[in-house]
Amino acid sequence: MANMQSKIQEIYSLEQLSGRKSAVHDRHPLVKLLSAFVYIVLVVSFGRHEFGRLIPFIFYPVVLMALSETPWSLVLRRVAIAIPFCLLAGISNIIFDRAIAFSVGGIAVSAGVVSFFSILFRTFLCVTAVLILVAVTPVSQLSNQLRRLRVPDLFVTLFEMVYRYIGVLLDEASTMYTAYMLRSTEHKGLHIRHMGSFVGQLLIRSYDRAERVYNAMKCRGYPGRDTRKIKAPLSGADYVYLAATTLPFILLRVFDITAVFERIF
Amino acid sequence: MHMADALLSPAVGGAMYAASGAAIAYSAIKVKKDELSEKKLPIMAVTGAFVFAAQMINFTIPGTGSSGHIGGGILLCAMLGGFPALLSLAAVLIIQCLFFADGGLLALGCNIFNIGVLPCLLVYPLIFKPIVRKGLTYKRITIASIVSAVVGLQLGAFGVVLQTLASGITQLPFGTFAALMQPIHLAIGLVEGVITAAVVCFVYKMRPEILESAIAGTTIKSGVPVKKVVAVLAVVTVLVGGLLSWFASANPDGLEWSIEKTAGTTELESSGGIFDSAAAVQEATAILPDYNFPSAGEEGSAAGTSVAGIVGGAMTFALAGATGLLISAAKKKKNRVESKAAS
Repeated sequence: MANMQSKIQEIYSLEQLSGRKSAVHDRHPLVKLLSAFVYIVLVVSFGRHEFGRLIPFIFYPVVLMALSETPWSLVLRRVAIAIPFCLLAGISNIIFDRAIAFSVGGIAVSAGVVSFFSILFRTFLCVTAVLILVAVTPVSQLSNQLRRLRVPDLFVTLFEMVYRYIGVLLDEASTMYTAYMLRSTEHKGLHIRHMGSFVGQLLIRSYDRAERVYNAMKCRGYPGRDTRKIKAPLSGADYVYLAATTLPFILLRVFDITAVFERIF
Repeated sequence: MHMADALLSPAVGGAMYAASGAAIAYSAIKVKKDELSEKKLPIMAVTGAFVFAAQMINFTIPGTGSSGHIGGGILLCAMLGGFPALLSLAAVLIIQCLFFADGGLLALGCNIFNIGVLPCLLVYPLIFKPIVRKGLTYKRITIASIVSAVVGLQLGAFGVVLQTLASGITQLPFGTFAALMQPIHLAIGLVEGVITAAVVCFVYKMRPEILESAIAGTTIKSGVPVKKVVAVLAVVTVLVGGLLSWFASANPDGLEWSIEKTAGTTELESSGGIFDSAAAVQEATAILPDYNFPSAGEEGSAAGTSVAGIVGGAMTFALAGATGLLISAAKKKKNRVESKAAS
């Protein structure tokens, strides 16, 4: 449960990162969103056994993270969270796919192993792409962009509010938990018998807090819908960014670069 | 149960995005129609954040020595009603995906569908509400919660199985995968059902009006509105097109089979001027020939990772690393110069 505090830290440290300035941070949120999305679609579209062709895709995270000064420790921590499920699925490929793909110095490597590494590498690339997106785009910019893309305003506002209130409610849950532990005899955590009333209390407190939030918003003039007119033109640098982050990878997807290496060696 | 990108193909991901997007848009419309919608917004947001916080609470399961946490779908439905609950859950899932790498960006559509749409728009109105329709009692709440949670998680887990298999990245056979997923989620569903029942009973004891207004808020009018039918049909179409097409049999269809029996080939070749130019036009315009990427080939060739490939790959990694280091070094130098100039 100590991870509650660390979770709050995680959300808000990302927020601090996104508030800095760099060549990447200054770009229009639409191109940042588009480039991440196109990149992920391209990575995922490769066939099961393709690994060699995926390798040049590492340039996207490496270059962008260097340009935006995003720390690698953050990324690696996130990737570590995402790996376990893919490991499980990937291992099943090793078991089931025994066809020999190629030999390296006398050791035969099965296609299952290739696809295992392919899955792991893909997970790594996709997770870093998303992380870079949120590390360079503040939540307010992201939600405004979603509104411009005609996502229902109700939903975007809801998204922003949930993001803000997570910290508040984690604090509340943490306080309740500390109070529980101070009064309980067993120290292994919440006993399942008490789960109902504990979660129920948290829920009721959340509900009452929401009523107070609503009244506070009305007192401050919340009109019930978002009335901001946000105009943000795309600049030349934005187009350059979009082209630089999508075109090379589209070309890599369409043309097989490993054939070039085979001709060299 | 959050799916990752690496096991998903773009086609399946896209289809599920469309299905989830349609469900969210429909829910947003339904919620807006309610005159109290602007008051509902803070409630939806805070309960969404509550689900997030509640998922952090690990409780110990006596006897097993392990711990777990609740999902929260049916719980949200009981508090808010089906449509608002879907919106809150979708917002929570997006935040988990973006900020915590819990579920991939491409898989977001699938996750919203499995964890949100199925419990909120299917299980809640069809199982939970009928059971408590006659009136709220502790017994009915308990039965409704447990059954809804179990069925909801089974459906969600089965959705994951279908979507992963339709993508074709993993080679786990259907039987094995299903045999792994379904029993685990049955156990999880039972525990979640019991906890949901306990929580909802507690809320009913303390604040019964919350549950009653949630159930009343989504009463279905008599007569079937056309818009609803169209929306449902649209979702079903996307599902059928996106998912089931991947199960399309590789065997020749009826027409091709009969042609093969008579002419000896599954496709009749035509030659001649107009056929050639028509074929050329088709080749030039087909962006997804044979319903696949143009250079997909036979699941990609593993030849790309022969020895030459490995050496080339290692060189590429080194080059990428060097590029990154160069950029960082250049930035550090610039920062040092700037701070020297400023001081």
